[in-house]
Amino acid sequence: MSLLEIRGLRKVYGQRLLFEIPGLTLERGQSTLLVGTNGAGKTTLLRILAGLEPAEIAEYVFDGRKIAVREISRLAPTVVYVHQHAYLFHSSVAANIAYGLQGRGLSRAEINACVDAEIEWAGLREVAQVPTQRLSGGEKQRVALARARVLKPKLLLLDEPTANLDVDARRQVGDLIAHMGRGDDCVLVATHDPELIARSWSARYVLENCALADLQM
Amino acid sequence: MSLSEAALQALHMLLEGDPSLWGIIYVSLRVCFFAMLLAAPPAIMLAFLLANFSFPGRRILVVLIQTLQALPTVVIGLILYFLLTRNGPLGAYGLLFTQGGMILGEAVLAFPILAAMTLSALQSADPRVTETARTLGAGSIRAAWTLMMEVRFAIMAAIVTGFARVISEVGCAMMIGGNIAGVTRNITTAIALETSKGEFAQGIALGIVLVAVALVTNAGMALLQGKGGLK
Ligand SMILES: Nc1ncnc2c1ncn2[C@@H]1O[C@H](COP(=O)(O)OP(=O)(O)OP(=O)(O)O)[C@@H](O)[C@H]1O
Ligand SMILES: [Mg+2]
Repeated sequence: MSLLEIRGLRKVYGQRLLFEIPGLTLERGQSTLLVGTNGAGKTTLLRILAGLEPAEIAEYVFDGRKIAVREISRLAPTVVYVHQHAYLFHSSVAANIAYGLQGRGLSRAEINACVDAEIEWAGLREVAQVPTQRLSGGEKQRVALARARVLKPKLLLLDEPTANLDVDARRQVGDLIAHMGRGDDCVLVATHDPELIARSWSARYVLENCALADLQM
Repeated sequence: MSLSEAALQALHMLLEGDPSLWGIIYVSLRVCFFAMLLAAPPAIMLAFLLANFSFPGRRILVVLIQTLQALPTVVIGLILYFLLTRNGPLGAYGLLFTQGGMILGEAVLAFPILAAMTLSALQSADPRVTETARTLGAGSIRAAWTLMMEVRFAIMAAIVTGFARVISEVGCAMMIGGNIAGVTRNITTAIALETSKGEFAQGIALGIVLVAVALVTNAGMALLQGKGGLK
């Protein structure tokens, strides 16, 4: 059974058809790349998949369950979307990473341990005490990734995750994606980053001329 | 008594803790504090509803709140007077000429300011706040709370503004409170009604206190807006 199966997806803004996708399937453990020119609709597609944006969808089947369009956002945090420019809450780095872990019946100690591991993974140890508004663009992006990753989502939607990152951080994000591709979880990445595009992917798509097509390398 | 003599005496009264003077100041602070406590929760709640849900009459409600901000305080005092007077619909509660009545009146005055300022803070908040909260698994109530926390400085600024308005208004306090010595006489009614009876020094002392309150609240505002501006 696939993780996500979509049929008959259409997005229009007023008179303009942004895209029409007859079918899209994400298999478990699949890492998927999505490219396309500015304004092609990558961000919009990711947001639709996360339920943050309305669209016409004939069928949205997640994990074998048929989900009504209005209910898609309830899949969070099984499906997590990370913004192109992530928003960090005006609190500490740790509080941002812990946000999604709260209210799930975890103890303080368990949450702290998870957060600590994530801070380590994201290389945020040195800036863990800096107010989030003062972090650099790349550091913010890493906090946002850590904050999503700690929830172990089945489907992680990353919108240009490397846009602000340096070489090392780009590699880290690339590794995270590769790692997710090995497990049962799915990651779908929209990007313009050639380095990221060149990595190994289970599937590569391009959004152009209002349609989703396989990307020819 | 010359102005300089009166001013000197005013300073004396303030510094030496003249009990009737500080009693008046205490009435003002107490009434305003409880008025804000009464008005803030429902005003913030209403702003939240207006910012997040569209329902019939929403626009009218928004315009109404904005209009009520500018309503003269004596008009609100007048309306409340008729409601609270012995034969009025709320006369049975005996609130006219009591601190309770004043608290109610000042809360009514503060409510539209609090609601309107909170609404504008919520509307100008980054839409990614709620989206981020939701995608990380927060339910709608937690997402709402998160949004509140993100605009907390703007909400505090609304509370400071509301406080500054109610502590400095005289119309409603006079009509509902009635300037009863030791009970409902507050800073503004004392200045307005007692100065003409020769209480120059007291009037000046109370004026100094009001100006000090205005200074502190404005400094607080500047501080809060500075903080809120950090993105
Ligand atoms: N509310 C809206 N009304 C009309 N058009 C919109 C609206 N929101 C987005 N669009 C348009 O939809 C198109 C797709 O936007 P989207 O952000 O999905 O593109 P993208 O592929 O992510 O581009 P980029 O590579 O620049 O991030 C854009 O042309 C944008 O202007
Ligand atoms: Mg985009």
